[in-house]
Amino acid sequence: MKARGAIRTFPAAIAIIRTIANCLKQTSSASAKQVRINPLQKMEEPENNHKINRRKFLGAGVRASVLLGLGGVAALVLKQSVAGNLVWQLDPAKCVQCGRCATSCVLTPSAVKCVHVYAMCGYCDLCGGYFKPETKTLTTAAENQLCPTSALKRKFIEDPFFEYTVDEPLCIGCGKCVKGCGAFGNGSLQLQVRHNRCVNCNQCSIARNCPADAYSRVPASKPYLLRQVGDEKNLTAKTPRR
Amino acid sequence: MKRKIIIFGALALLLLVIVFIAWDLFFNKPAGNENPYAYDLKSLRSGDSTQILFAEEQHFSTGLPAIHGIALDKSDHIFIAGENGFEIYDPAGKREAAIPIGGTANCIHVDQAGQIYLGMQDHVEIYDQKGRQLKTWNTCGEDAIITSIAAEGKDVYIADAGNKVVYQYDVTGAFHKKIGEKDPSRKIPGFVVPSPYFDLGIGRKGELWVVNPGRHHFEQYNGDGDIMSSWGEAGMSMDGFCGCCNPSNFAIFSDGSFVTSEKGIERIKIYGPDGVFKCMVAGPGSFVEGTRGLDLAVDSKNRILVLDPEKNQVRIFTLKKQVTGK
Repeated sequence: MKARGAIRTFPAAIAIIRTIANCLKQTSSASAKQVRINPLQKMEEPENNHKINRRKFLGAGVRASVLLGLGGVAALVLKQSVAGNLVWQLDPAKCVQCGRCATSCVLTPSAVKCVHVYAMCGYCDLCGGYFKPETKTLTTAAENQLCPTSALKRKFIEDPFFEYTVDEPLCIGCGKCVKGCGAFGNGSLQLQVRHNRCVNCNQCSIARNCPADAYSRVPASKPYLLRQVGDEKNLTAKTPRR
Repeated sequence: MKRKIIIFGALALLLLVIVFIAWDLFFNKPAGNENPYAYDLKSLRSGDSTQILFAEEQHFSTGLPAIHGIALDKSDHIFIAGENGFEIYDPAGKREAAIPIGGTANCIHVDQAGQIYLGMQDHVEIYDQKGRQLKTWNTCGEDAIITSIAAEGKDVYIADAGNKVVYQYDVTGAFHKKIGEKDPSRKIPGFVVPSPYFDLGIGRKGELWVVNPGRHHFEQYNGDGDIMSSWGEAGMSMDGFCGCCNPSNFAIFSDGSFVTSEKGIERIKIYGPDGVFKCMVAGPGSFVEGTRGLDLAVDSKNRILVLDPEKNQVRIFTLKKQVTGK
């Protein structure tokens, strides 16, 4: 069936190419030829148009291909200049902290890191993102820390406030702190693809494995999708100022 | 004979290999989906059900798009505040009025005279029971987030989560003083309010109780703003307050006991007047995970009314029959 279809469509394709070739030929050398051709030859032209030799056919085909290629490249360049470059990013509102950002990235450690939105943070002593839930004493002892690599750092500011910072080289993007902060705090700790590490694969392997479909391509001009103050679920009002 | 044994043995071995291959191919699930960094909150959410001495007796849905505050008047009529309005229900849960307002009320209080105080973002509006606006008080400031109101005699107390302070007004709307600002000379620790859940209430002797959520404390103040006592401690266990900042809401029984609600691990608990844990009203299993802002009220029959913003319902809990013996 396919072969028959191809046989049927082939003459039509030839006719289209022939028409394009004639148009190109006429536009490229119309004025010069019109001067040289005598009236008799001009009268014979309609008959000659039906006969096309291989050389003319190939020449016209090459010209058409070059034109089409140039047009395509121009369209691509135009599209990219309008849309800008795209990079991978995950939407914290969709993230379920499944841990695959840590294990699915082609890089080790992952290009996904915890990012702290300080404006949303409560600077709490008992931080749900920092401490394990059953912690008895609120100290920086390793056994109290939720982070498996101690990438979340805690610093005393003034009674009773503590500042939490992410040591990015240590962070593996597992999202444990993000889950704890979201459950017991304001959700100021969020996972993001860090573009100083991400190699921007054509098909991000984390995106392929993400169960929440949280990954998408975003414009490189706005590469981060952090939630901000006021985006908190269920909160009746903005987060109190510090 | 020996040859037969070898053949049977070889066949058995082959069968074993085939079974192993089939199991490996079709039944052995790849470990790729397991999360080596799993943080299991389910174990925290499964409390001791024997501690739950209350059962849900009734619930009803509200007509507001979002609900934030609940209050009762002296005849146990139920007042619900929320997005673009407030509603009045009789004690059985039948709606009597729905009054539209311009904006969202974060909290509500009804005084002895029946006047309705609505805490808007930064100011208080007062209505009568027919929905007529009687007065609008001046703004509490640009950063104000009013989260709770309570009245005692001529005093009206307003909790401002944005400025982390309690204001004392009189019923005419005249400002008197700030309560709870950090003052080491008076041994006032200052309120720590990491998220906009900052509740206050009036005790059985007319004393002011305020939650200090960041310190997981209840603090008692007198009318002069002096701190009188405090209780409470942080902890995931039943008798503690979990997370960064809890309890989020509370109400006080006529005998001075406290009923508290928490976010993070959604649970409602009762503490005695001395702050000793007594029992649970409802555990995390009774609420949608992630529910916040479970506002509370207690009526004259000691029924506990819980405002569930996630389900947009008022849920009424009473003591289980096994406990009451009736």
